[in-house]
Amino acid sequence: MQHIIRAEGLIKTYGGVAARRRVLDGVSVDLGRGEFIAVMGPSGSGKTTLLFALSGMDRPDGGRIEFDGQDLSSLGERALADLRRKRMGFVFQQPSMLKHLNILDNVILAALHDRRGQAARLSAKARSLMEGAGIAELAERDVSQVSGGQLQRAGICRALMNDPLVVFGDEPTGALNSSAAEGVLEMLRKIHAGGTAIALVSHDARVAARAERVLFMRDGAFVAEERLGTFAGTGLEGRVDAVTAHMRALGI
Amino acid sequence: MYYRIIKDDVLKSKGVTLATLLFIVAAAALVASGAALAAQLFGAVDALMEAARTPHFMQMHAGELDRASLERFASLNELVEDYSAGEFLNISGARFSLGSKTLADSVQDNGLWTQKAGMDLLLSLDGEMIRPVDGELYVPLAYLKDGTAALGDEASVAGRRFRVAGFLRDSQMNSPLASSKRFLVSEGDFEALRADGSVEYLISFRLKDPAALGAFEAAYAESGLPANGPTLSYPLFRLINAVSDGLLAALLTLSGALTVCISLLCVRFTLLAKIEEDYREIGVMKAIGLRLATIKRIYLAKYAAMAALGGAAGWGLSLAFRRPLLAGLKQSMGEGAGAGLGPALSALGASLVALSIVCYVSLALGRFRRLSAAEALRFGAPADARAGANRPRLSRSRVLGVNTLLGIKDVWARKRLYAVMAIVMAAATFMAVVPTSLYSTMASPGFSAYMGVGECDLRLGVQQAEDIPARAAAIAEALRADPAVLSSVALTTKALWTTDPSGARIRLKVELGDHRSFPVLYSDGVPPTGPGEIALSAMNAADLRKATGDAMVIYDGSSYRKLRVSGVYGDLTNGGKTAKASFEAPEAEAMWAAAYAKLRDPSRAAEAAERYATAFPYAKASDIGEFVRQTFSATLDSVKTAAYASVAVALAVAALISYLFMRMLIAKDRRPVAIVKALGFSEADLSAQFAVRSILVLAVGVSVGVLAADTLGESLAGAAITSFGAAAFRFTGDPLVTYLAIPAGLVLSSALASYVGARGAGRAAFVDHLKE
Repeated sequence: MQHIIRAEGLIKTYGGVAARRRVLDGVSVDLGRGEFIAVMGPSGSGKTTLLFALSGMDRPDGGRIEFDGQDLSSLGERALADLRRKRMGFVFQQPSMLKHLNILDNVILAALHDRRGQAARLSAKARSLMEGAGIAELAERDVSQVSGGQLQRAGICRALMNDPLVVFGDEPTGALNSSAAEGVLEMLRKIHAGGTAIALVSHDARVAARAERVLFMRDGAFVAEERLGTFAGTGLEGRVDAVTAHMRALGI
Repeated sequence: MYYRIIKDDVLKSKGVTLATLLFIVAAAALVASGAALAAQLFGAVDALMEAARTPHFMQMHAGELDRASLERFASLNELVEDYSAGEFLNISGARFSLGSKTLADSVQDNGLWTQKAGMDLLLSLDGEMIRPVDGELYVPLAYLKDGTAALGDEASVAGRRFRVAGFLRDSQMNSPLASSKRFLVSEGDFEALRADGSVEYLISFRLKDPAALGAFEAAYAESGLPANGPTLSYPLFRLINAVSDGLLAALLTLSGALTVCISLLCVRFTLLAKIEEDYREIGVMKAIGLRLATIKRIYLAKYAAMAALGGAAGWGLSLAFRRPLLAGLKQSMGEGAGAGLGPALSALGASLVALSIVCYVSLALGRFRRLSAAEALRFGAPADARAGANRPRLSRSRVLGVNTLLGIKDVWARKRLYAVMAIVMAAATFMAVVPTSLYSTMASPGFSAYMGVGECDLRLGVQQAEDIPARAAAIAEALRADPAVLSSVALTTKALWTTDPSGARIRLKVELGDHRSFPVLYSDGVPPTGPGEIALSAMNAADLRKATGDAMVIYDGSSYRKLRVSGVYGDLTNGGKTAKASFEAPEAEAMWAAAYAKLRDPSRAAEAAERYATAFPYAKASDIGEFVRQTFSATLDSVKTAAYASVAVALAVAALISYLFMRMLIAKDRRPVAIVKALGFSEADLSAQFAVRSILVLAVGVSVGVLAADTLGESLAGAAITSFGAAAFRFTGDPLVTYLAIPAGLVLSSALASYVGARGAGRAAFVDHLKE
């Protein structure tokens, strides 16, 4: 399998000399082109830190990350920003929208950065994505006028505007009720089906069970892996049981 | 606990805390010094005038004096307590030499005086009445202050040798604004020099009841007693004595008030940034049941400590600077009754400054009341009230880049927040532009037009002389025959009569002649052209309640004339109360005359002035540039210093407030900043967005500031100038400075400070804010 991300021996420590804490302790992980992985673990296990390191938002203290053949440590702040904008998409736990832009402007925000004067074309693409997400009628609304689930779906549309190689999700359903969460997860499944790689971190076995591969993390290191195969929309309960059993066995 | 909280907070923000503390110290020091000076001044002016027994009414008179009628008037008028008619021996400045210097270039009327017992006393610097002996010359304090004379100097007046035996306080003529200066000599020396000068009488009255001054003035005018010269009164002497130090006290207090405002802004921005940062902690404190007052005290503690420290340090500074600050005043007027109150009043001023800081912080912390513990814990600080999410739209943009659009949108959405910054920039611009424009206007050659002197190169004044019209005619003839003179005119001021709105008969000083050649500045209307017209100075127009086009009646010594007011002009000379007409009034008594000339080569004005001073020793010849410089040199110097200081302060304020504002903005915006960074916006993009916001706010602030300076500032400066009698004041400053250099300087200093403040905004661990 061709890899988009290849990370080896990642180390990240936080805190001063007196209270030094190793959050990533020699983590290695790969993400194949079009692959869907989920990282699970208890609070403080280093899941989010790993996600931010893989996406170039945070620099590890040790180890090496390659993204599509490029060594991230060799890239400057500007090049990393370009990479995030053009090749990656992000979905956060809280709907992270700029409050003084309406939904449509939020969706096209990053895409417009490199395409000055192409607002009309980008708006058309955004409306098409929002239609697919079932939120087309919300385009002109203020951020404060829509629900959390709708905002999260708008966030996914924003993540897809630049046709990324990979979408990163940090607990994307963490702040949603179960029906809103289902809608978001279904969107992610379709994105993956379209050939985009996905890397999620989550506490929730029902979220992780959509992934092809689930990595279990504790104290800054992977302790196990579950290969579930591609999720085609059916047989979810069995996959959830498998993930839950693994978690129980690991005491997570 | 409070000590630890204060210490931690101060250590975390050392620079900002120090800057804020310095502003509080400066504000307290300025207000305390202003209060001390005011206390000293008002006591001292009264004490000096009491000790000197300053006349309540004084009439200057050149010419013959009928002492018998004067005696009769004084004995019959029951308002009069005492009177005197002293002789002021006016001697050309060139004939005074003090040490190595002469008074040849002085625009003051310098003369000799002898001490009179009973009233109008000239006092030593110890406040004692001076009794000079032969050979002793007591010199006006002004000449000590400007370095012209020193104690023990060899001096000579019209060839007679003297020794500078001391300096004198003159309760009438101490101020540089008074146009005459009295040197005190013995009776013997005075008589020996009598033939070398011209005598002018100072007819002085002390009244039993100073409140009856108005009635006395009317009685004197009606009596037909000598009146060939200006009239002055006690309130005017008091004003002239108080004006320069009073202005300084007002300036100190105003600067103090301004500095208090700056301190409050510093406090506001740092406090708001701190609250933003601590929002969750505040939520926790509320959630665990700490009372609002307790939480407020935690935040108030630091500012109360800073206010107390700053106030005390400011008061201490004002005490340390008390001696040099009050030295000039003490020298001019001595110790006043209010002097003892100085330290107490200055302590009160400094306490008020400290108290205003504490009250302001307490008020600002009132927002804790509205803070919901649950929301603070779940969501952190709330977003600002935003509006206009639909304008302008990114999705409809054709031209602008996304960073520019985001910058514009943010300013549009948070207008109230940015308005504070725009107001600060407008105030800083106003503060820098008004004194600068005032200075360049006052320093410009055209400024003489405000002073009641038409724009010319040479002015020749004939005052206190016999047969003024004939002497003026001789000068006019010489000017006409002089090939170096391009054009000239001679004007004679005569005392005519009119009635004021209450119907009382009053004397009007009317300058007669052709007023079209060297017009002064008219706020309304035009110079008088025909015999049926008269123009009034702004002060006279106000007193007589006349405007352009109104009719008024004048008595010219032989007949009544019905005249039309052709215009109103500015005049700073002769107390600001004059009139101009072009008819002849041969019966009226001439008070003084002046000739004005424009030269073919204006650069040779000084040389021409010297030539005419030699040819006409009775005339005061001045190169007009020198005339303006000397009359206004002290004021001009003060305004120049104030202008430079204002520009420096404005630049510093713009930089500091911009820095603090940017820090507050970054604290407020850490989550949106984290979002756009995560989406792939680089630090350069963020800098561009902050730059757009800054440029917008700066552009609006600086434009409003320049506009306000050009309108409101011009009116304020005009009000100050017109209070001395000028009219229709217009800034004629250098547009390059006003519209380019100052705004550019402010924008640069603010932009630099914003850049420093915003540096590292995106470098903050933005991943932490995404986790919130």
